[in-house]
Amino acid sequence: MARRKNARVRRVAQRRKDVLHGQGRHHRSHDFRCAGCRLDVSLSAPGTAHRNHCPNCLVSLHVDRRVPGDRDADCHGRMVALSVSVRPDGEWMIVHECLSCGELSVNRIAGDDNALALMRLALRPLRDPGVPGAAHEALLTL
Amino acid sequence: MPITSIDTFLCVWCGLTVHAHPADGPRRNHCPSCLHSRHVVDHVDGGPSECAARMTPISIAVLRNGDWRVIHRCVRCDELTSSPVAEDDNRLILMRMAVRPLAQPPFPLEAFGEL
Repeated sequence: MARRKNARVRRVAQRRKDVLHGQGRHHRSHDFRCAGCRLDVSLSAPGTAHRNHCPNCLVSLHVDRRVPGDRDADCHGRMVALSVSVRPDGEWMIVHECLSCGELSVNRIAGDDNALALMRLALRPLRDPGVPGAAHEALLTL
Repeated sequence: MPITSIDTFLCVWCGLTVHAHPADGPRRNHCPSCLHSRHVVDHVDGGPSECAARMTPISIAVLRNGDWRVIHRCVRCDELTSSPVAEDDNRLILMRMAVRPLAQPPFPLEAFGEL
């Protein structure tokens, strides 16, 4: 597994990875196939050691239960990207929602994630004047 | 509309006394002033949670019908919840969370100008 070499740049340490992909029921040793667009995805990603979503369509699978990496969930539903969150150090995180049971999870973006899909996700609150039509007005008056 | 109950809670972050049942919409579970919540429901197993720690708002999700939801993360056990935005929630904090990804993009945004 390729790890990031320049650890001093990273401000928050990633969780230690203790999942053995070769021993799981649904996991092959090196790659997975996306549940959304059927792309064959390699597990080695630039910028992260915990890739859990497709770099093309950002779809993930609900396999973890409480701790990321425990592979203990019974759901195995498809998880779609719901929104983008930003850590205090500026790292983007994708929030996934399970279409089957509604569970949420977050994962850091990888270096080869689809930039257009990420931007569409980040611009979604600004595109739609839903509840906060008043919020847009409030922002304009600031 | 008459007040049917006097159910209130104290915000764990800013100390505001919040009326749990707003005039319109369902029961609120976050403070309308600072949008912080409290971890009282266990979403993995269901039922009440023993954590009871503070939950910070981390992002805004937009549903297909245009409704906004606030996504909270527990500071103690990292569990995530989402709750609908009420009419009197703090618009400044909502908009700040919505535009924060654009303030710190992980890739240059100049390439999108050509699309």
